[in-house]
Amino acid sequence: MQKMIEVKHLTKYYKDFKAIDDLSFFVKEGEILGLLGPNGSGKSTTINCLLSLLHFKNGSIQILGREMKPESYDIKKQIGVVFQEVAVFEELNVYENIDYFCGLYIEDEETRKKYVEEAISLVGLERYRKFYPKQLSGGLLRRLNIACGIAHKPRLIFLDEPTVAVDPQSRNNILEGIEKLREKGATIVYTTHYMEEVEILCDRIIILDKGHIIAEGTATELKEHANIEEKITVEGLKLTKDQFENIRNLKNVDKVRFVENVLTITYKSGQNNISVLIEFLRNHNITYQSIFSERPTLNDVFLNLTGKELRD
Amino acid sequence: MFWHNFKYSVKTLLKNKILLFWVFAFPIVLGVFFHLAFQNIEKNEKLKIIDIGVVDDLQFQNRSIFKEALNTLSEKGENQMFSITYGDEEELHEQLEKKEITGYVSFGKDDVYLFVRKSGINETIFRYVIDEIASNEKIINHYISDGMSYVGNENVDFNMMIQNMMQTIESSQGNIENVSNENLSYTMIEYYTLIAMACLYGGIFAMVIMNSKLANMNATGKRTAISSLSKGKLIISSLLASYIVQLLGIVLLFLFTIICLKVDYGHHLPFVILLSFVGCLGGLSLGIFVSAMFKKNENTKTGILIAFTMLGCFLSGMMGITMKYTIDKYIPILNKINPASMITDGFYSLYYYGPNKRFFFNIISILLFTIVLTAVSIREIRRQKYDSI
Repeated sequence: MQKMIEVKHLTKYYKDFKAIDDLSFFVKEGEILGLLGPNGSGKSTTINCLLSLLHFKNGSIQILGREMKPESYDIKKQIGVVFQEVAVFEELNVYENIDYFCGLYIEDEETRKKYVEEAISLVGLERYRKFYPKQLSGGLLRRLNIACGIAHKPRLIFLDEPTVAVDPQSRNNILEGIEKLREKGATIVYTTHYMEEVEILCDRIIILDKGHIIAEGTATELKEHANIEEKITVEGLKLTKDQFENIRNLKNVDKVRFVENVLTITYKSGQNNISVLIEFLRNHNITYQSIFSERPTLNDVFLNLTGKELRD
Repeated sequence: MFWHNFKYSVKTLLKNKILLFWVFAFPIVLGVFFHLAFQNIEKNEKLKIIDIGVVDDLQFQNRSIFKEALNTLSEKGENQMFSITYGDEEELHEQLEKKEITGYVSFGKDDVYLFVRKSGINETIFRYVIDEIASNEKIINHYISDGMSYVGNENVDFNMMIQNMMQTIESSQGNIENVSNENLSYTMIEYYTLIAMACLYGGIFAMVIMNSKLANMNATGKRTAISSLSKGKLIISSLLASYIVQLLGIVLLFLFTIICLKVDYGHHLPFVILLSFVGCLGGLSLGIFVSAMFKKNENTKTGILIAFTMLGCFLSGMMGITMKYTIDKYIPILNKINPASMITDGFYSLYYYGPNKRFFFNIISILLFTIVLTAVSIREIRRQKYDSI
């Protein structure tokens, strides 16, 4: 499969601050790559470098097999970008905004009209085509923002945190829209700090921190890589120091935390961990309100790798 | 794609109510205020009769041309310019000291001596008229002496020559007004600065449109910059759109002032249009300059542009025409580099002297201003990549 993007040893400084540190990765055709990382991890800077908007110190960027330059208009023709900030004209209505941005790529008027209608339909703005941005809610505005970025049917789409500050209905609509784009064969680079979106959408994930890759792979691979198998939480219980130590010594237990009557145990591996724990609690006459087991999330992976939360 | 961007650029500019107010409505509103404020002043601004003295001695009696001219200019009626007191020099000097007369004139054999207390409007007019009569007297005397050698030449009509001279003096009010700076038509100067202001305010269009098309300015700029439309086409079509909208504003202003306010811009309409179009180019370059050179948000940039324009118009005489002359007198370079002053001065010279050297000097000055500012701005704008955005 063709490599749509190939980045090698990309390094970018903002004055003395190293924003991207020797970053190398690739994106295959038809793939959705998730760029995951907390604020300031270098996700947007990476995208801006890929789009040839920013100077960078070292490295090379190839898009569609060719070096990406500011004047690579034939490559740009096949790229669509949805930025974090809503980038629309207040003076133009929904239809006009999409038509304007689509017209910067598509010259034929008939084709453009068709594409604009399809983009409106994709993001579910049919009822709002005559509305001006000021008349739209935050979620609808985000949908318009997406439509403006993808109306010209690009082969490669950059979606930079497209669901920030949107209502659940709009978020679902946006995620469905992205699924449809994937079905149509688009290659997507999706940056976010919402791990659940990445888990749902992305074929492959790159976790960035301080401008460099700290983990890469599918969601499953990353969870395995983090060496976490299971997390069990017990709420509403009281423990003595001895009982706490005994739990720590149970089979497969990695870490134990007991804060405000809530016990959290992470397991490296193993099966039937919850049965063993319930058995232990019963044998020691320890009462509790609830007990549940969770599979690890990407947030746990990130926490495990960096010691901090993704949304920090 | 060029025309697609052009079309939508025009559309966004024409739908931006704040811009339309500043560039279209504000100059018209100001024009109405000027009209209301100055229409009565203008009526009262006709030259008042000036009290002067003439030393009535033998020398004066021998200066028949001066006698004739001063008599005509002091005849009662609509065109009376002077009220003349005849007397000896001592009496007239006393009257001058008491400020009863603006000045007096005495005559030597061939010379004329003018006495005034100060330098003012009336004194200037008085001096101008006496100079005019004196120079005409010389010409006539020259012809008379030539005529003597051609005794019998009936083609030399001295009476006609004197009459022509008087006509020149009587019709010289416009020139007199020019010499007497403070006596210019207030209203016209105000309208000229108003047009200059509208031309420069038009720069806001260029500034806004550039902001929306450059990646380091805002989000729409980023989105536009990564499109497949080349940066050159993008910038040229956007600036063309802003220039067209700017011209539309100027045309509206002209139509409004001519039709509704009955402003007479003189008889050189093609040159008026030429100067306005060139003036708009000056405004356009100012807008690009502010957009490219100031890394501020759009409101701050608009403020900078409006402040600069208002300052330029103030220095070129919008809030008091004495300012223009004060600057001309003490810091002339300031008005030479002030685009508002170049435009105002261009209109002024066109109105009074027609399309002369001074008019074209102003046109060239504005074009140079445009070229310099645009060149400096393009150095910044042409960048395709940024260190940070």
